[in-house]
Order: sequence, then structure tokens, then C-alpha cells
Amino acid sequence: MKEMQKNNGKEYWRSLDQIADTPEFRSFLEREFPENASEMTNPVTRRNFLGLMGASIAFAGLVSCRKPVQKIVPYVKAPEDMIPGIPKYYASTATLGSHAYGVLVESHGGRPTKIEGNEKHPSSLGKTNAFLQAEVLNVYDPDRAKSVSNEGTDAQWSDFVAFWKEKHSQFTESRGEGLAVISGEFSSPTLHRLYETFKSVFPKASWVIDEPVSYKNVYQGLETATGKRVRAKHHFDKAKVVLSIDNDFLGLEQESITGNKGFAKGRKVETEKDEMNRLYIVESSFSVTGSMSDHRKRLSQNQIERFVRQIASALGVLTNASENVVDPAWVNALVKDLKKNPGKSIVVAGHRQTAATHSIVFAINESLSNNGNTVTYHSDPYLVHDGDSIADVIKNASKLDTVIVLGSNPVYNSTAGQNFGEAYKKIKNRITLSLYKDETAALSTWHIHQAHFLESWGDAVAVDGTISTIQPLIQPLYNGKTNTEVLNLITSAEDKDCHDILNETWQDILKTKTLAKNWRRILHDGVHAENKSLITVKADGQAINNLVKSSDISATSLSKDNLEIVFYPSAKTYDGRYVNNGWLQEAPDPVTKISWDNAALISPKTAEELGVKTRDLVFINVGGKELEIVAHVLPGQADYVISLEVGMGRKDYGRIADGAGFNVNTLKPSDSFSVTGARITPTGRTYVLANTQDHSSMENRPLIREATLEEYKKDPEFAPNMVKHPPLKSLWEEYPYTEGYQWGMAIDLNTCSGCNACVIACQSENNVPIVGKEQVEKGREMHWMRMDRYFSGDLDNPEMVYQPVACQHCENAPCEQVCPVQATLHDKEGLNVMTYNRCVGTRYCSNNCPYKVRRFNFFNYTKDYPETIKMVQNPDVTVRFRGVMEKCTYCTQRIQAAKIGAKNEGRTLVDGEVVTACQQACPADAIVFGNINDPESKVTKVKQQNRNYAMLGELNVKPRTTYLAKLRNPNPEIVKQTETVS
Amino acid sequence: MNKETEAVYDYQVPLITGNQTFSSITDRISSITESKTTKEWLLLFGLASSLMLLLFGSIGYLVWEGTGIWGLNNPVGWGWAIVNFVFWVGIGHAGTLISAVLFLFRQKWRTSINRFAEAMTLFAVICALVFPGIHVGRIWVVYYFFPIPNQMDMWPNFRSPLLWDFFAVGTYFTVSLLFWYTGLIPDLATLRDRAKTKIRKVLFGIFSLGWRGGNKQWKHYELAYLLLAGLSTPLVLSVHSVVSTDFATSVIPGWHTTIFPPYFVAGAIFSGFAMVMTLALIARRVYHLEHIITMTHLENMNKIIMVTGMMVGYSYSMEFFIAWYSGNPYEAYAFINRAFGEYAWAYWIMISCNVIIPQIFWSRRLRRSIPVMFIASITVNIGMWFERFVIIVTSLSRDFLPSSWDYYSPTFWDVSLLIGSFGLFFTLFLLFIRHLPMVAMSEVKGVLPQANPHHGHNGHEGESK
Repeated sequence: MKEMQKNNGKEYWRSLDQIADTPEFRSFLEREFPENASEMTNPVTRRNFLGLMGASIAFAGLVSCRKPVQKIVPYVKAPEDMIPGIPKYYASTATLGSHAYGVLVESHGGRPTKIEGNEKHPSSLGKTNAFLQAEVLNVYDPDRAKSVSNEGTDAQWSDFVAFWKEKHSQFTESRGEGLAVISGEFSSPTLHRLYETFKSVFPKASWVIDEPVSYKNVYQGLETATGKRVRAKHHFDKAKVVLSIDNDFLGLEQESITGNKGFAKGRKVETEKDEMNRLYIVESSFSVTGSMSDHRKRLSQNQIERFVRQIASALGVLTNASENVVDPAWVNALVKDLKKNPGKSIVVAGHRQTAATHSIVFAINESLSNNGNTVTYHSDPYLVHDGDSIADVIKNASKLDTVIVLGSNPVYNSTAGQNFGEAYKKIKNRITLSLYKDETAALSTWHIHQAHFLESWGDAVAVDGTISTIQPLIQPLYNGKTNTEVLNLITSAEDKDCHDILNETWQDILKTKTLAKNWRRILHDGVHAENKSLITVKADGQAINNLVKSSDISATSLSKDNLEIVFYPSAKTYDGRYVNNGWLQEAPDPVTKISWDNAALISPKTAEELGVKTRDLVFINVGGKELEIVAHVLPGQADYVISLEVGMGRKDYGRIADGAGFNVNTLKPSDSFSVTGARITPTGRTYVLANTQDHSSMENRPLIREATLEEYKKDPEFAPNMVKHPPLKSLWEEYPYTEGYQWGMAIDLNTCSGCNACVIACQSENNVPIVGKEQVEKGREMHWMRMDRYFSGDLDNPEMVYQPVACQHCENAPCEQVCPVQATLHDKEGLNVMTYNRCVGTRYCSNNCPYKVRRFNFFNYTKDYPETIKMVQNPDVTVRFRGVMEKCTYCTQRIQAAKIGAKNEGRTLVDGEVVTACQQACPADAIVFGNINDPESKVTKVKQQNRNYAMLGELNVKPRTTYLAKLRNPNPEIVKQTETVS
Repeated sequence: MNKETEAVYDYQVPLITGNQTFSSITDRISSITESKTTKEWLLLFGLASSLMLLLFGSIGYLVWEGTGIWGLNNPVGWGWAIVNFVFWVGIGHAGTLISAVLFLFRQKWRTSINRFAEAMTLFAVICALVFPGIHVGRIWVVYYFFPIPNQMDMWPNFRSPLLWDFFAVGTYFTVSLLFWYTGLIPDLATLRDRAKTKIRKVLFGIFSLGWRGGNKQWKHYELAYLLLAGLSTPLVLSVHSVVSTDFATSVIPGWHTTIFPPYFVAGAIFSGFAMVMTLALIARRVYHLEHIITMTHLENMNKIIMVTGMMVGYSYSMEFFIAWYSGNPYEAYAFINRAFGEYAWAYWIMISCNVIIPQIFWSRRLRRSIPVMFIASITVNIGMWFERFVIIVTSLSRDFLPSSWDYYSPTFWDVSLLIGSFGLFFTLFLLFIRHLPMVAMSEVKGVLPQANPHHGHNGHEGESK
């Protein structure tokens, strides 16, 4: 009532309904009854009951066409194109900061259960990474914020709308004085349109970008170098020589999917006559990219920056020759290699590097003719990566009236010396939109619960300018709001439906008022393919020189009393956003193999000098701040450099996040990813780390077989010949396995980068439970697919190798012979199958498995699943009970589904029709699966390669999974150098 | 029973000392079951049955929560439960060996110890059988082990050594029980004849199966006993051989060894004799049976302990030799890891207890010293428990792929089950010595000088050996 008076002055009631339509009354209605149940307040007659039922059926029909319907109603009569048990796939887009990844989401009866890459999308090419695989779990996270809250008490969205309408008129008048928005980086036509509207409606308001793993430096460096706002797309597949400057393009950089795919293409070797690419990397701590490198230098961040100038000088890009950070002979060999491959090499720098470094790298690529060949540049008018300074917000906090946080978490991200939280509390109205009741939400006056992207409409732009659409797979579980909706409300004070907002943008993009047919196709494909924005750019030498000069760097000599700290994105939480995701938390870090924690990584030499051991709790002091964290000694880490993983150490966030790891943001400088002048002192206490792999040496066992390209050319059969054994005879009469489909797998260790995508994909597909830190520490993790990681060579600067290991499906399976109840057996297609119902749980099979891939349900891990988590389970895969053994099945449910499909069509399976979850996710295409009885199948061909070997084949177990030996391609010149030195 | 006789023990003295007569033997043994319950017995029984309750409580919790309450993990799928199983089966060897094998070899000194050695066997096998039952993940479907004809035509896997185990231990238990019971019949009849209460009369009457001690009865009885002894003898060898195939037929380095069957049998006899020794020394002291279980018996047993200890030691060294000689790097690593790896402490406990300590029995003085042999018999059993621990846990914790290596450490529930199993064992044993004749009266009478047809009268030495 109050409101009506305010808006229109004197107001007459037109009807009682109108008075009733106040927020108070509506909220009363909604709390008392489920939404839309208000019709039922009429006396229920048979007639209107039937009417409602009819409406339900109509709505049910709408759900299936993915129209933006408002109600979720169970099927009374099944819609025509929905066959129970047959999943449907819808294209959508996941975003990570300014990056977009097209995805195909598998939906079972209206609930998304699995995410795959969208082949049509240029940033995913049908593949995924671990984060994308895990997104589906986030939708169903029971710890998500479930309602709007105001001052800590539950409220309604309509309350907020009413609140904002009032505020909106105030800010329209003041043109945004005292208003600030904090968001992450984004590149989306709709958000960008609203962003522009916001800027024009509230010109005096500020817009701050808060992105912990920021790509600001990358974009700024390119902008300086080219004078244009561009994004770079790297074509690793075309590069013969790759130089990575602290760029983890196979792991945690945003281009990781295309990075893996392209790099693997350039590294693929089929016969000893093939050539492969060569990777040089300089980095501070070991990354999965470092594990794939042919030459690796451990440098501090300070050294890396100077190394870039050294190499730029050597290439003649920069004239002011700086000192030699790295042995000039090594650099010369590298430069020679780069110059030998003009237009076929690629130099990439990581997001941690300064804008100056990125501009130099642009110039280097130009000088090597790489620009336009291996690196292309694309304009992106929708990109927002830079805004007003957060420091100003902190400074002027008491003068600010309202701050709106859109999906970001500035209180947690607050870096050393900022203390955003304190300043934030001084602002009068603090509005936060986020998925969780996070640190910022806890301090906010209004918290709006965000919709997950699988519940949202939206759009996003890929690195090459391709626009893709985000479409919902499910009604928002808790009626959350998207940032599009909230931003639209903020700018226009209109509470509009997300789809309608999107429509307005797309009417412009498609230049039509009716979206009908075109729009349907775009939604179906997930991408708007016509919109490519390739542009040619030239280096502006003067601008680069100026930038380089202005950001001059001096050498810091590091020592045990002057350590450098480097902050790196987490493989578990990225920047903290996935911190409540159990799959990611439990997945061992690809490099350290630590699960459920982060640690301060220290090189063996530095650790010895400091008297620190793995699992010791230490104090890190830098810039007057102190952090207590557990230490982990990691071979391959640069000396005197401590690496800290961001995104962990939460309180009151969610049941997964709480208590896992340490918050390292308190030490992080606001404008850089590294800081020097740190000291470490042991506390004398220790901390329990759940590490899934205690032993990192292969003990000279021929498990991962590796050679250099040169050795391979000399001895193409090195891999199978590495083990000599007597003729193998079986105790039992062997089944021939010569008829029908015979399933087998080959994994190319030469292209597998160890990125963990397969591990999470398998977990998602096969309902693999998470067990928690305590159980992982005991050695009871359940992953069917594990990523073995070994170090070799020098302790300080070793090589790192990966091997994905799942059930090998031995034809002569040792597990089967010992099972007393025949719960594990072979089928005629060579699958080692588990009968969960028959399993008594003697664990004898696991004992007798030489690969130790079997997983036992020591407890009833799935007993306490919240209702929502039950929804993420794949209905095609049994959820296992306590006391039974489980293991990789080669995705038998997918084999069956394909076989049934083929049988219905009266044909046999075609090669490539059955794709296992790990294979489907693998961005490097390192995993090949198929019928080894078909001489033409891809897997047969791969297994015929001379690098093919069976791990532990000498046990006569006849594994169906075989590996292709790993190759390295070192520069002969550098090899000669090291030989003469040693 | 008296101090003055103790001093004159000599190798040459008869098996039974103290100038026993048939009736004194009967009195001595039967009175233990007939007299009032002593305070000591009640105390011991209270202690043992409390521990037994701990076992049942732990089992209850285990079934409720799952095998996760143990310290098991992924590479180490078997831990203390299976160690305990093999340990108890091993102990269960001595009884039948003493009764059957020594009987066939006409080793008459066995008569004083065979009865409770057999009882010990039965109780040890009962303790052993507890573990395979409870160590499975889903105890409620444990009947899948049995070859029960069913409509799905599902059978157990006859290739699995675990199934062989099930049959081997089951058969052994059944035959041992029959053998023990057959031996008991004449003594039960003696008790029946001496019974003063109605209940004793009825119960012993039923279980003595109408034994009257007639000539014909003795003739049939002795033949039956001989046949059962013949039947039991291969079982003594087979049961632990089969248990060893659980490990020997697997592919795991440290398990995959052909030496296992004889090595396990030797180890079982070794630990079984040690356990008989421990119990005999206590019973002898508590019930004053020094004249029946004489120093000669003890010394003979010590000799067997020493011999089997050396056989076990030989096996340990032979494993190392083969690990080197085979040229199999995995096996070589497994054994080096045993002796010098994370579990070296367990390995060296095993070596000290099983190989080094029994060597003291080369000395006749130590061989005949009650405190020394008591301690040695206990250390042998500690050593033999560790032998199974070393074999099972060290091999599993570090097998083929270093990536999956992990350390196993027991939890409270692992320990409580082991301690509880001793509770069960002693509870049964205490009930046995309280209610049944713990020495085979009829057989001991058979080796008295008076039983020898050539036996003269007092003072005339008879042929008793």
C-alpha cells in the first residue's frame, strides 16, 4: 500500500485484488502455498481440478521443447518425443571468467546428469576439462543459497524488486552517484548490452572488475601492442616449436581444452618416420604442461620476466639487451629452433605475466611470422575486463550508498592490505548475487541466490568471437536469478524474464524482430557460427617499447631469507568458485596428488635449507602478513620460490568447502601474482595431508615406457622390447575371444598431459562416490580412473610423467580366478564385468589385481546423499552399496546402449559409435576405444603401432588396455650442451 | 605333585612319574572336573569371557558399520583379520599332529598332552573360522560361498583358493572334532561312573555312548581311533597347505611362491607346539600335573619347536634366495622391502622370535627350564603372528605399481578383534578343563609301567618307552 502511494500520489483502489498484490500479501501467499497454487484457494470443484490437470499436461509438453516455461510439473502423459530412459542432449555454454566453452548436456528425464563438449564450439571442440565435467554437480549442490535474504532473514525476490524500484529512481536522479557494481570479467553480448545501458543510465556509478585469476594483463598487453582490443587464439596444432612462458596451456590456463587438443595433434606420432613438435617451458612450479615439455627451466617469476627480455633481445625484438638470466647457449639453441620454423612456432605467456611481457610476446610472435598463422587475433566488442579500481571503492566506502556484487566474491578475494570486508561493511546497501552464501554474501544486506548456468538463459563469446548461447536444462532448483536478470533489473527497474532479455539482444545480433527459425537452429547448435571476427593486427613498436621501459624490472636475488611467492589457480577450485564441489576437491591435484587441501610448494633444496619437510606446518611472513600453511616438498619447483594455490580455506561456505585447505589470499598482492621478500619458519607442528600417491618413483620398473624421438627412430620397437620374459603359458584353457565385438582400449602416453578431465568424467558418468579427506588419507579413494604421476631424473629438476590407469580388462584376469563366488567374470566380448549383487566383498580380487584398480566400498558412502545429489546420478549406472567391489567397466552402459540402438536398426556397430566417458572428455584424444576384433577400427590400428605395449604384460594377464610409449623430442643442440657440461 | 620328586627328573625316567597307579590317575584327573569351582578359575573365566564379549561387541559394530572400521585401504585389502585367521589355523595344527601323527609313529609320550592339544586345536579352529566369516564386506550374503543348488544355477568358483580354504578348514574341523570325541569316550564313561549328581550321570551317560570298557568295545574303539588317526594325518598337512594357496596362487610378489605349502605347515606345527607348551605349562602348574606332564614331555616338545623353527628359518632364507635367483625384479624388491622397508620392524620381530630365540634350545639346561620355555613359547607365537602379518601386509602394501603403494596401520577394532579372539579361545578352553578330563586317562594308563605285560612289581623297571 505504501508503495502505491509513493508511485502515483493519490491512488484509488480499483479492486481488492490490487491491494492484495503487495509484496507482503504475495509473500504470505507464496509461503503458505507453493507458487501458482493460489488458484486452488477457490473452492475446489471437479471442473477446475480437471482444468488444472489439463494445464499440467500442457506444461509438461512445453518442458520437452525447452521453451522458457515457468512451472515444473511431473509428466502425467509423456510428451511425444520423450522416451523414458533415453537421454537427450542440449547445447549450452559454460563460462569461466571471460572465456566460454560450448557444452552438450545430457539430460535424463529433464535433469542434467553429464556434460560433454560441443563439437561445434571453437573453445571446446567436443572436449571438456575437469571443471566443465564437475559443473553438473554444482547445480545440485545442497549447500547452494536457496532463497533471497535480507539482513540475514529469508525474503522474496519480489521484496528485492520492490526495494530496487525505489533505489532505481533515486539513482536515476543522481545519475548513479554512490552506486558501484562489482563483477567478474565477462564477454557476453547480453551482459555487455546491459553493461552499456548501466553506464548510460548511471554515468557516475563505478563498475569494478574483481577476477582473482585475471586475464587483464593478457588483454592489456595485446591492446598496447596492437592498439586494438583483441583476444588471441593459439593454434598449437600448427606449431612445430612451442615456447611457453609460465603458461599452463594444457592445465589451468583458459585455453586448456584447445591447447590440449592442438598440442596433441602436433605431438601425434604414428610411426618412427613421423615428426613431432617440441615444447620449451620456463615456469616456477611444475605444471602438467611442464610435464609434457622437452626442455624445462625452473625460474622465479622475477627471472621469467627478465628471461622474456633476454629472448626478445636474442631475437632482435628488443634492442636493450638485458643480462642473461638463462645460459645463453640454451637460449641461442632455442632461438635457432624458433627461427628455423617461421610461422610454425608459437610463443605463449601465462596470465601471471605482466602486460609488458605479453606485448613483447606479441612482438616475438610477429617477428617469427607466427601472427596470423599459429596465433590469430580476434576483436571482441563484448569483452569487459577492466573497470574502476577496487581500491577506490575501499577508500570511498563510507560515501557509497549501494554496491552490487554480481557473481563475484570480493570479500574472499580481498588481497593483502586491502581488507575489502571491513570497507564493505561501511557501505549502506550491500547487494550480492551468488550461488552460495559466501564470504561476501555473509556481509551483505541483500543476498540474491544465483541460478546455475544450467538453469539460465544467456550468451557468451569465445576467444575467436563466436557467440554461443546458454540455455537452461532445468528449471532453477531454488528459483535463483541470473546475473542477466539482476543486471536488467538494476538498469531498468523492470523485472523481466531472462529469455526476454536475451531476445532483445539477439534481435539486434540477428537483425530481425522474429527469432523463430534461426534462433531455434542457434539454440540447437549452441553457437552462432557466422560471427567470426578475425582481424589482422600489427605491432606498434613504439608503444611496446614505452610499456617495456615503464615496467622496467630489476633482478632480485632470492635466498632462503628472501623467498618469492607465486600464486597459481587451483586445479580443484579454480579461483575458489568450485570450492564446494566434491568431485574436484577429492580429485588429486595433477602435480602434487594432494586431495582436499592446498599446500605451500617448496623445492627439495630450499626445503632442506629451511629445515622443512612435507606435512610440516609453517609460517609464511611477507609484507607484515603471516599465514600458517602446510608445506609440501615438490621436485621441479624453482628454488626459493613458494607456490601457493588460491581458492581454498573457507569457513561457513558449505559442507565440502569448510576446513579444506588454507586461504592464501591474505598474502597476495592486489596487482600481481607474485611477491618477494617472504620468509618461512616452521611451527614445529605437522598437518595431515591426504595424498593419493605417496610414492613418486617408478623404481626402474617398465611401467611408463619412454624414449626420445631419436632413440625411437633408431629402435622403433623399444617399447614392447623393454621387457624380456619367458614364453607365457596359461594354467587354464583360454577362451579364444575371436568372435563378435572384442572391446579394447589404447592410451597414448605421448599426448596425455595428465589434466584430470578423464578422472572427473569417469566419476560423473559412473556415479563414483566421494569419500572425504579422512578416507582418502587412509587410501580409500574410489576413482575408477586414476592418474599415476612419477618423477624421473634429477631430484631438483626432474621430468614428470603421467599414466591414466583404470581396469585393464585382462583376458587372463587374476581377479576372476580368485573370486570365490564368481562375482567378477569375463563376458564374451572380453569385458571384465562385476556383478555387484553377487559380490560378497572378500577383497581378494583387489589383492590379486596387479594394477590395483579395484575399489572397495568400505562404508556405505552413498547412504547420506542429499536428495539433490541423488538427482545427479547417472540412471544407467548402479549406485553401489557398502561391502562390494567396483571398478572401471569400460562404460558398459554406453556399450549396451549403442548395441541396442544398432540392433533396433538391424545392423552391427560402427567404429566410433561407442565412446567411453574418459575418451569423450579427453581433450588430447589420447584415449582410443573400440572393437579390437575389427581390423579396420581405430583402436586396432593404434594397437598395431610399434610403440604399443601392455603394462605388466609379462604376467600373462593379457590386458585389453595397452599404452603407447611416451616420446620426448629434445633439441639435439641442448642435449649436446648438457652432455659436455656433465 | 610334590617338591621332592621334582628334583629327580631324568631323561631315563618313565613317562609318568610319582609312582602313579591306575586309580591315582583317575582320581587326579577326574577330581578336577568334580571338585568345587576354584576362585582362580572364576577369575580367569571372568577375564576371558569379558574379552570374548569384546569380540562379539566388535563384530556387532563391524557388521553395523562396515569393514571400513579397520585400517584396510586400497592396496592392503586384507589386514589383521586374515592375519588372525592364518594365525589361529596354524595354532590349530598341533592338536591333530600330536594325536594322530605321533600316534601313528607310536610316540607314547604324547598321551599326557594329546587331549588338551586336541581341544586347543578345536578352539583355535573355531577362533580362526570367525575371521573369514566377518571379514567380508557383506556378511549377510556369506552363504554364496556354499555350493547350494539354486534356480539360477549359480555356483561358487571352484578355482578360487578361498573356496578350497573353506572346504579344507571345514573338513579339518569336522575330523578333529570326531577324533577328539572318539578319544573322549572311555574317559566320559569313567566320569559317568564316578558321577554323583543326576545331571552329570545323564549327560555323561549320553555322551559316553554306553561305553562299558568291554574287550570287544576296546577292540573296535582302537581300530576306529587308528582309522581316524590315519584320516587326520593328511589333513594336518593339507589344511595349511591349502591356506597357503590363498597366497601362493596369486600373482602378487611375496605371495606368488611355490615354497609356501611346506613352509606354512612347518610354521603351523611350530606355532601349534608353542601354544600347547604355553597352555600345558599353565595347566600343569595350576592343577599340579607335574607327574603326568613331565619334563620329558616338555623337553620333547621343545625339540620339535626348535626343529620346526629352523625349518621356518630355512624357508625365510630360501625365499630370499629364490627372489634373487629368479631374476624377477618385482619379487626381489618385495623381499628387500620386507627386510629393509617400512615394515622392517615387523620382519625383524619375526626373525628374532622365530629363528633366533628357538636356538636357545640347543642347550639342555635351557630346554629344561620352565621359565625359559614359557617365555620362548610365547615369543614363538608372537613371531608367528608377525610372520603372517609380514607375508600378508608387506606384500600387499607394495606390489607392482608404486603409484598405489600405501601404508597400512591397524585401528582399535583390528586390535580388539585379535584380543577378543583370545578371549573366545580361553573361554572355551577354561570351560573344557573345568568340565572334561583334560588328560586322556585311558591312554595315560596305557603307558604306565603297570600296563606293560612285562611289568614286574614295585622296584622292577618295566619297558615303558
